[in-house]
Amino acid sequence: MTSRGISIGVSRYLSSLERLFRLDRGVPQGKVRWAVDGLAGALALGVVAATPAAAQDKPSALGLGIFTFTSGPAAAYGMPGKNAADLMIDEINAKGGIGGVPVSATYVDEAQGAQGVIAEYRRLAGDAKNQVMVAALSSANCLALAPLADQLEVPTVGWNCDTHQLLMDGKSKYVFRPNGNTVPEFIAYAIYLLDRKPDLKTVAIINPDYAFGHDAAKIFTAALKALKPDVEIVAELYPKLGSPNYQTEISRLTTTRPDVVFSNLWGADLENFVRQAAPRGIFTSSQVILALGETVLQRVPLPDGVIVGVLGDGWWMSPDAKNKPETVKFAEAYKARFGEYPVFPSIKMANALIYVKAAYDAAMQKNGGKWPTRGELAAAMKGSKVETLTGTAQTRADNDGLVDQIVGVTVKTPAQQSPVIGDMVRYKGDSLMPQAGQDPLAWIATLKPEFAKSLPKPGSYK
Amino acid sequence: MPTIIAAAAVLVIALLPVAAPWLQFVLTLAIAKGFAALGVAVLLRAGLISIGHAMFFAASAYAVAFLARAGVNDLGLLLILSVLGGALVGAVAGSFLVRYRAIFFAMLNLAVSMVFYALCAKLYGVTGGTDGKPVPVPAVFGVVLGEPAFKSVLFYLSLGLMVLVGLAVQRYLNSPLGHALSAVHTNEIRLEYLGIPVWAVLLIAYVVSAALAGLGGAIAGFAIGRVVPDFAFWTASGHLVLIAVLGGIGGVPGAFIGALFLELLHSAAVTVTDSWNLIVGMALIIVIMFMPKGIYGLFARKEATGL
Repeated sequence: MTSRGISIGVSRYLSSLERLFRLDRGVPQGKVRWAVDGLAGALALGVVAATPAAAQDKPSALGLGIFTFTSGPAAAYGMPGKNAADLMIDEINAKGGIGGVPVSATYVDEAQGAQGVIAEYRRLAGDAKNQVMVAALSSANCLALAPLADQLEVPTVGWNCDTHQLLMDGKSKYVFRPNGNTVPEFIAYAIYLLDRKPDLKTVAIINPDYAFGHDAAKIFTAALKALKPDVEIVAELYPKLGSPNYQTEISRLTTTRPDVVFSNLWGADLENFVRQAAPRGIFTSSQVILALGETVLQRVPLPDGVIVGVLGDGWWMSPDAKNKPETVKFAEAYKARFGEYPVFPSIKMANALIYVKAAYDAAMQKNGGKWPTRGELAAAMKGSKVETLTGTAQTRADNDGLVDQIVGVTVKTPAQQSPVIGDMVRYKGDSLMPQAGQDPLAWIATLKPEFAKSLPKPGSYK
Repeated sequence: MPTIIAAAAVLVIALLPVAAPWLQFVLTLAIAKGFAALGVAVLLRAGLISIGHAMFFAASAYAVAFLARAGVNDLGLLLILSVLGGALVGAVAGSFLVRYRAIFFAMLNLAVSMVFYALCAKLYGVTGGTDGKPVPVPAVFGVVLGEPAFKSVLFYLSLGLMVLVGLAVQRYLNSPLGHALSAVHTNEIRLEYLGIPVWAVLLIAYVVSAALAGLGGAIAGFAIGRVVPDFAFWTASGHLVLIAVLGGIGGVPGAFIGALFLELLHSAAVTVTDSWNLIVGMALIIVIMFMPKGIYGLFARKEATGL
């Protein structure tokens, strides 16, 4: 009721401006009245729309802002996320929604760049219906949105972005990442590689030319140097993101003949690289590591023995996932609807939505079944431990996540058309993470070969 | 009559964020881009198309980020210093770029700006690579504000600057120095015979336009809170040329009209569909085909018939 009073007041005030400023100089009176009334009407509408609904009533629908790439080259990675979100939201709504409230998502295309993403975030956050943002895929966008999330006090779940800088200062109250970050993700590959190929001497790196590629190279190199100091990096290649042609880089790799080729190329870039590198014998002359290789298993024929992983535990065929009926059901429903089995970005998105649902359940349990406010929701996310489709996501005190890391090699199986991951290892999430507030690279430098010996071995995860 | 329309337009822009708070960011950004597009429009008067002005936009935004890190923490000082930074980069680049005309000028601007872009993206340790650098919230004349209050101050400051700087640029374009620009376009040799140094005329215009782009970049940096190399990418430069042409180069308001139109259109399109590129593209085709003098041309023509 108060909001209506406010809007009437605003309209009257504005109408009085008309006399105050004598806007009628030379302009027909009717036009000015029309303009001022229109303006007043727009304002009144805006005031009513901007007044938040009483937080404790259950709304008719729960809005989620979901940020992913739905256009441009990065959509090869972003669309599986969007597909999974569509499916997961349908599944949640089929079971009665969250606390009886149906969920609806507004998708925001990250291909607009940071400016557009920020504008959309502000617009969605202005609507009280949207209580949670699931943002974002790109690390640059997560970094740009993080200060905004704390300022507008909107719980924001980073579903994919994995830069270790995001939560480094440990001050964020509303930004959460129920995933690992670049540090555990790429240390895992170094440890797995040294277990599998202990006598390696030379390594070449080919990563995309932006922060994710450079960060991964830095972390992977630092971990290798700490665990086996005599390893030599013979080439560091950074092809442009979205490059269609890798022949120059492949020539360089064939002439340096490294023992190991490490790459965190992804999306269409990775498919192109694999298609061009395979005929030129890279996969036979070197041990290849494709950090995001799982995403292309169903699309390009990868030879056996390539080290691949899922940057976390999101492998839908892992023993843990296979033991969960809901995961198997999700994967089959995904295949039926989109024609492919889920890839790990899909699982990351599905897990992020499960994380949001768990936070609602926890917050409502805590306040006696009432609909939670944004603040209560963030409090419920803090320090939570959530059972996901593929494992558990534990949230630390600094809001960063602890998630297990699965690494393995490609193997063929009669049960499946495309190669699967075999000879797997599952590293515990906390074992590869520095303590909250610790400088990650300084921490990696302190690692000793004995540390790697204490961890599980390839093939131990069955 | 035009003054009243302009005043009413500014008033509407000033009041829009009261109705829809999220629009404040969109409008701040539109004004920021309007400044940069105005810079492009100044050079367009002389028939010179710069497909590289995003460089000055980005340079000044990076300047804000670096100065803030170095301890300069006042909005006014940061704005002035970063605009000077943009102008300085403009003076250096302009000193050799204004010797060229037509396609060579456009391409060289593009080339220089892409070198700048590559440096921002590659100098990982200095610029933070593609993740960029944060721009903190500065104090406003010694008053430390919270983020929401600062964003409002920034918006109304930009709006005020839009009017003041717009008037100043109008005066500049109506001065002999400004009219010399159109003369360069029509007959450069005659200008030299009249004893007017074309090189100096163009260099001044170039520095003015770089400073305008710099002002826009600094505002955008504050509004977004983060500077990324994409600010300097050639598509961003193309975007500025597009805004200038779309709004119309007939007068100063054109650049701001174009920027507001494009930003609001973009915001509206992304809320409707994933295929927002399609809507934005179609709208641009329509404007360019049916309004050859830009959106501002519509108003200007009406005014002429009214007389």
